[in-house]
Amino acid sequence: MPQSTLSLKYRQATVLFIVLGLLLVILGGLVKLQILNYRELAEQSENNRIRVQPLVAGRGVVYDREGRIIIDNRPSFTVSVVASEAVRDTTISNLAALIGLDTSVVQKRLRKNLVNRYQPAPIMRDVPFEIVAVIEEQAGRFPGVSIQMEEVRRYTPGLGSECFTGHVGEVSKEERRREGAVGYRLGSIIGKKGLEKHHDALLRGREGTAYIEVTASGQSRGPYEGKAPTPAVAGADLVLTIDNDLQRECVAALGEYCCGAIVAMDPRSGEILAMTSYPGFDANIFSTVIPESLWQSIMQDTTHPLLNRPISGLYPPASTTKLLTIGAALEEGMISANTALKPCYGGYQFGNRYFRCWLPGGHGSLNAVGAIEQSCDVYLYQVGLKLGIDLLSQYFDKCGFGHVTGVALPGEEDGLNPNSEYYDKRYGKKKWSRGLVLNNAIGQGEILVTPLQLAQFFCGLVNDGIVYRPRLIKSIQFPEGQQVIPSRQTVRKLPFSSGTLELLLEALRLVVEGEHGTARGLKNNLYSLGGKTGTAENPHGDNHSLFVGVAPMERPEIVVCAVVENAGHGSEVAAPIVKRIIDIYMTKKLSLESVADLSHAEGD
Amino acid sequence: MLNYRDLDWRIISAALLLSMIGILLIMSAQHYADSAYSQSFYLRQSLWLLIALVAFAVVIHLPLRLFDVSAYLFFGITLSLLVLVLLIGSSRMGATRWFSFGPINLAPSDVAKLAVVLALSRFFAYTKLPPASKRRLAFTAILTLIPVMLILKQPDLGTSLVFWIILFALWFWSGLSPVYLILILSPLVSLVAASHWLAWVLYFAVLLSFLFLSRPGMLFSVLVVVTNLAFGVITPYIWNRMADYQKLRMLTFLDPGRDPRGAGYQIIQSKIAIGSGGVWGKGLLSGSQTHLDFLPERHTDFIFSVLGEEFGLWGSLLVIMLFGLIFYRAIRIATRCRSRFASNVVVGAAAVLLFQFFVNIGMTLGFMPVTGLALPFLSYGGTSLVLTWTLIGLIVSADYRWQEY
Repeated sequence: MPQSTLSLKYRQATVLFIVLGLLLVILGGLVKLQILNYRELAEQSENNRIRVQPLVAGRGVVYDREGRIIIDNRPSFTVSVVASEAVRDTTISNLAALIGLDTSVVQKRLRKNLVNRYQPAPIMRDVPFEIVAVIEEQAGRFPGVSIQMEEVRRYTPGLGSECFTGHVGEVSKEERRREGAVGYRLGSIIGKKGLEKHHDALLRGREGTAYIEVTASGQSRGPYEGKAPTPAVAGADLVLTIDNDLQRECVAALGEYCCGAIVAMDPRSGEILAMTSYPGFDANIFSTVIPESLWQSIMQDTTHPLLNRPISGLYPPASTTKLLTIGAALEEGMISANTALKPCYGGYQFGNRYFRCWLPGGHGSLNAVGAIEQSCDVYLYQVGLKLGIDLLSQYFDKCGFGHVTGVALPGEEDGLNPNSEYYDKRYGKKKWSRGLVLNNAIGQGEILVTPLQLAQFFCGLVNDGIVYRPRLIKSIQFPEGQQVIPSRQTVRKLPFSSGTLELLLEALRLVVEGEHGTARGLKNNLYSLGGKTGTAENPHGDNHSLFVGVAPMERPEIVVCAVVENAGHGSEVAAPIVKRIIDIYMTKKLSLESVADLSHAEGD
Repeated sequence: MLNYRDLDWRIISAALLLSMIGILLIMSAQHYADSAYSQSFYLRQSLWLLIALVAFAVVIHLPLRLFDVSAYLFFGITLSLLVLVLLIGSSRMGATRWFSFGPINLAPSDVAKLAVVLALSRFFAYTKLPPASKRRLAFTAILTLIPVMLILKQPDLGTSLVFWIILFALWFWSGLSPVYLILILSPLVSLVAASHWLAWVLYFAVLLSFLFLSRPGMLFSVLVVVTNLAFGVITPYIWNRMADYQKLRMLTFLDPGRDPRGAGYQIIQSKIAIGSGGVWGKGLLSGSQTHLDFLPERHTDFIFSVLGEEFGLWGSLLVIMLFGLIFYRAIRIATRCRSRFASNVVVGAAAVLLFQFFVNIGMTLGFMPVTGLALPFLSYGGTSLVLTWTLIGLIVSADYRWQEY
């Protein structure tokens, strides 16, 4: 057993060696962290203390053609709870009592919206100011409760504009994954429908970024000086072609009925002056959280408020497309202006089926213009037979039916323009009767159109056959001051010669001003009105009432198409409604002209 | 009377410089603290430094013989204090370590370090037993074990390790062959090697051949083999049988302050702080890790991270060199002291400082576990500072009186 005491020198050397070794280990650790890993750790230390905070850009305001607000933003208050600062029991129960919710509901929302214990978790959005005031004044009773101000989209009420404005909502997972979806984050607001969706990129602007220095507990210490914030760029404002006065009149006019749609357009440019779907809904409810009960009542409403009738409501055009049938026959040389076919005695026998005219007593003998003026079905049956299903369908096609109009709104329907191919597919080859053309000739049968398509077609008729794409944007105002004015876009020329068009226009005038016109009740001394009535047979209930009106007939400036569901005769319901809208337009125009005349006279 | 010119001023200035750097770092660490109380920590530490300097002055003026003769009495008093703190001490974070006198907290475990240094020094100075005698080893081990048990009961694993280091240092210094030290430490190696059976078998073969070559005696050899078997086979067997929560409970028992935010949060933040300091540091009061609360315990256990972040590599090197100077001088003093007691005291005191220095800085650099051991001179804490300066006083006193027997 080695018992010898080690020499002092040996022990001293050993201890010195150990101390030196330990110092070198520490030195090595320092060199590793402070020199070798310096970049990485310095970056981590920066990331540690900087939080990237989005600066929300103001969403663009939407105006009508006269600068009146259709959509703007209002401030709203959100009540949140910071979990780390909340006091057990006190915070939740006091807050629940104040905002009128159950304690368990508040707790549930807190858990659901909790990102981390140091960030505010929203409990209730769009809280009335009175509640905010209580929380601010009695802060001691609400430890950990904070108020955030957010902008909420506000849609001017009473305009019935939701069919084209659409609405906004929080971006969904699918929307964020969609290709080209740049700059959206969880909780971003995105346009869900209408122009809010179609022009989302313009309206939303560009979100900015602020760099905030935070403590380990997530508390803000103010802006981080090392990195300048990127300011948010506000969205562009839109000036629409819409006239709020006409919008309001549309809602008022349809208010007496169950459901319907109105589209008013300027045939000279394709501008949509008014468009409404009735009944509508309050687009504001989507800006904040929709109560479940309200959502259920909307979904279960049998009048389908969410159906966008002007662009996706499908209706038989009924007699409104009789002009098209007559025009086609004129173009094809099958009839001339004075051709009188077999007189109308209230119906027409085709094969073993008897097709009625709407007037049981019959119209007697008529020429082409008279047939439109009095909307005689029997004359049209005969014209339809001359044309045949496919030729008629070709004309419908050339007039834009069966295609979307291309208006800058999502969700537009094509409509239905049947031809023999379609019938072959639907009923089987040779299993359908040639007599179907009789229905198509009077705008019944399988033909389905949207009110916007109908309005666009009439715009073409009264604009020398030139059809423009319907549009809503008059100008785009960028926050930097730039202004973009979209130009009108020709989409097609109607397949009618000027002679035919002249004849059809005369027929339109006679519908109102003619002795036997179906809408002669609308005749007035103020301006000359033309139009065409339609009564669509509806297998599910009462007839739909249609009317497309044009004014002034000398040089048409406005076309209004109204469809009123289950309301009866076109001349009785839709026609007066259209006149109400055109009255507003014309009164405005005439008063403006008289003011202009007055100032001109004064100038003399 | 003391001749001040003959004092070892190198050690004293190094210690003074380190204490002042400590105060500066504590001031910086708590500069943006929420409460005025926290912000005033550096003033309290300055006050403690004055008290520590008084203690230092008293120690160097007293004859070393006084410490020698009263060593066992002091040891006894300290043991009763350790018992007392378990009964009436105040608790923080699940541990009972302090006597509270108003705002002042006294940790008797710091006093115990001094007591063990003195008692062991005295024993090794006068014992007639040969260095490797079983009675000598057993007696000193039991003497160390008593305060260790009391401190483990607080519980405080890190501090209890300091006592073993004192014992090992003095065993070696009083002549025990490193062979024995290695064999005594071998069960720990066995525990680590037991993570894989092949490694453990290889290790055991090496251990047996080492025993065969060094022939340390039959009883000792058997003891070593048995403890190695126990650590290498039985402990892993029991550990593997334990449920996760039991393991966690065990670890938490051994170290209650362990990782309260999980995933080595403290260590990660400390490494980021030191590493981001780079060579030149971010500058006083400019450490973002320190001032944005990312660094935990920044004025106590992690004070070195503040140094690393704000003063970079050069600041850290300065502090390490000052410590190195103290250790170097202590070894030289221990070598030339004629009194065995004085020599032992210097080695014991240096061992306490070296161990805490290495474990604490090693922890902030991420290669040592979180133990809660303070960095001498720099960490905030009154008793720790007074103890450190008392140890320095003993070293300086031993140097001054090196010729005394």
